[in-house]
Amino acid sequence: MDDIRLVEKTVNAAGVKIAARGVQVYYGETHAIKDVDVDIADRTVTAFIGPSGCGKSTFLRCLNRMNDTIPICRVEGKITIDGEDIYDKRVDPVQLRAKVGMVFQKPNPFPKSIYDNVAYGPKIHGLNRNKAELDEIVETSLRKAALWNEAKDRLSEPGTGLSGGQQQRLCIARAIATSPEVLLMDEPCSALDPIATAQVEELIDELRSQFSVVIVTHSMQQAARVSQRTAFFHLGNLVEYGETSQIFTNPSDPRTESYITGRIG
Amino acid sequence: MSDQHILRAFDRDLETCQALVMRMGGMVETAILEAAQALETRDEDLAEKVRKGDEAIDALEEKINEEAARLITLRAPTASDLRTVLTVMKISASLERVGDYAKNMAKRAHVLGQMSAITGAAGSLRRMAKTVVAMLSDALDAYNTRDVALAEDVRNRDRDVDQMYNALFREFLTHMMEDPRNITACMHLHFIAKNIERMGDHATTISEQVIYLVTGSQPEEGRPKAESVTTIGVGED
Repeated sequence: MDDIRLVEKTVNAAGVKIAARGVQVYYGETHAIKDVDVDIADRTVTAFIGPSGCGKSTFLRCLNRMNDTIPICRVEGKITIDGEDIYDKRVDPVQLRAKVGMVFQKPNPFPKSIYDNVAYGPKIHGLNRNKAELDEIVETSLRKAALWNEAKDRLSEPGTGLSGGQQQRLCIARAIATSPEVLLMDEPCSALDPIATAQVEELIDELRSQFSVVIVTHSMQQAARVSQRTAFFHLGNLVEYGETSQIFTNPSDPRTESYITGRIG
Repeated sequence: MSDQHILRAFDRDLETCQALVMRMGGMVETAILEAAQALETRDEDLAEKVRKGDEAIDALEEKINEEAARLITLRAPTASDLRTVLTVMKISASLERVGDYAKNMAKRAHVLGQMSAITGAAGSLRRMAKTVVAMLSDALDAYNTRDVALAEDVRNRDRDVDQMYNALFREFLTHMMEDPRNITACMHLHFIAKNIERMGDHATTISEQVIYLVTGSQPEEGRPKAESVTTIGVGED
């Protein structure tokens, strides 16, 4: 038994990537996130689960300051990545988002070629010195996103011409092209069929060797399949956070149990 | 936490599994009591009934396994639901073994019917069987009502059965040493006693499953145990 789980344990020993302390989020008068403390481990897939409106997406969006774009949204508390406060005035949110990539629920490729979709981030961040380097980044990113074989002969075709599952993997390739350290995924598979879902899940598992992945999902089975740690949110509170296997076999909070077993709670 | 699932068919499936386990438990209890009675009264018809009845118990275990597999596939149970399915499977496996021991007891009734009685042994065996049936019945009640205290109590009572077994072991040993003509009967009687003692272990396993079901963790080791017979007769004489 211990041998099987050794890998996960070593991974967790990699340390804390993101630390949140006393995080509060308000949308105008609405208190959306209530005093959340959480440590997200490096090179680990962390799943956020909870009913609609529980604040899991809101909290995810705090991690790369996406909430800055919403005028009525106010974030309090402290969030650090590698010990650096991401809400510090000196932090440029655009640079932060290069470091903390994001993939959304619906595949949203730019209306550009497959190549340009992936090359866009590295270009604006000036990560490449010449065309050859950019080609390499595009190829590596598409390979990591398990899309290279399907896309290599049609790089100049529009990204929107790909199938849904391919588009989502293109978005993942785009997100990882800037060499982020953290990848945030907000229900990345909810618009995909089971095969594309399995491919994206396999990809998530591979990405965990290089990134800290945080995924919001409504599918409990998906959280169980891909994550090593799970956080359960309810009404803006972080109710329970722990090893995924423990959360799904023996949760300590009755609210978690009600939610994951599909009971009226 | 609410007891009911949003999807009511899920509740029905879980209840079906558990109802089958309870029915199986009832059949096994009857089998033990009837086997013990057949032994004491040398009633070969009753013994035959127990032997035949084991098929139905085995079939029920198979049905429970099918239901459990179906539930896992279709409902993807988690947390206490998952533990319910896991314990249903383990408990039915234990009950199936107990059913086999009862059948084995009944088989030996036939052999013993043709032998001179060892004074009092059948009565002792019947008392022991009754104790085990009470344990089994309480373990299943504890399962039904999710009663950890009762399960703990059953777990502790296994020591009594072990002590009864040890006493019988010594008694049979004495009879055999006194008169070698007793050996055949005593060997059979000893196997019967051993089988009843094993039934007690299964009742203990079932009560441990109840504790796992309710608390989510296996009970700690360290329940009271009687001395082992493994050393009886060693180094004596």
